[in-house]
Amino acid sequence: MKIELFYTPGCAKCTASHGDLKTIAEQTIDGLVWQEVNILEQIDHAVDLGVLTVPAIAIDGELVFASLPTSQQLRAELLRRRDGKN
Amino acid sequence: MSKLTIGKLAALAEVSADTLRYYEREGLIAPLSKSEGGYRLYNEDSARRIYFIKHAQHCGFTLAEIRELLTVRGRDSACCGDVRKLAVEKKLQLESKIRTMQTMSKALDRLIVDCAEVTHPVDECPILTALEHANGTATHHEN
Repeated sequence: MKIELFYTPGCAKCTASHGDLKTIAEQTIDGLVWQEVNILEQIDHAVDLGVLTVPAIAIDGELVFASLPTSQQLRAELLRRRDGKN
Repeated sequence: MSKLTIGKLAALAEVSADTLRYYEREGLIAPLSKSEGGYRLYNEDSARRIYFIKHAQHCGFTLAEIRELLTVRGRDSACCGDVRKLAVEKKLQLESKIRTMQTMSKALDRLIVDCAEVTHPVDECPILTALEHANGTATHHEN
């Protein structure tokens, strides 16, 4: 599973929560790929996924959170996807 | 600082008085005071605020978004990053719209290519036929 977190450099709201979310995601899914995407460097990719607000999170190429979720929300979504695939 | 009537402010900022009244109804500007006769009075800061609104509109911001920008500007706890975030989100919206319009433009390209013979009578026009066909398909699905 791959998570892309779209952020803007210097956005305090973005950077404050990155670490917690990354930790919870990696603890929840084995082999998870975590990518932090500077939206200014990859704006075409962000538009492809329908990102209109920052920060935002896409999972496996699908925009899932248009704003940062709580750790619990992210964990629940990851488990739902993992169990849905099994 | 001299006081400006709405007419003088409108001339200074190169907008109409109606536009200023509209901005006031939208909560973007407010007169500093009123004259004894009840006329709205402004100062040069009001003109700067209107320039700000006009520039922001040129960058694609809606009046509601401009109100948010003005709120951020006046908030002590706000930082440049807050404004930058709004600018980045506006850019995302614009890029998304550009993408949609390019798709529409390509759809028109196809119709224009199909209509290479401009001397055909209008009832044989491939563009009109294609548009009618699309409508017929939608009707068919509804039935």
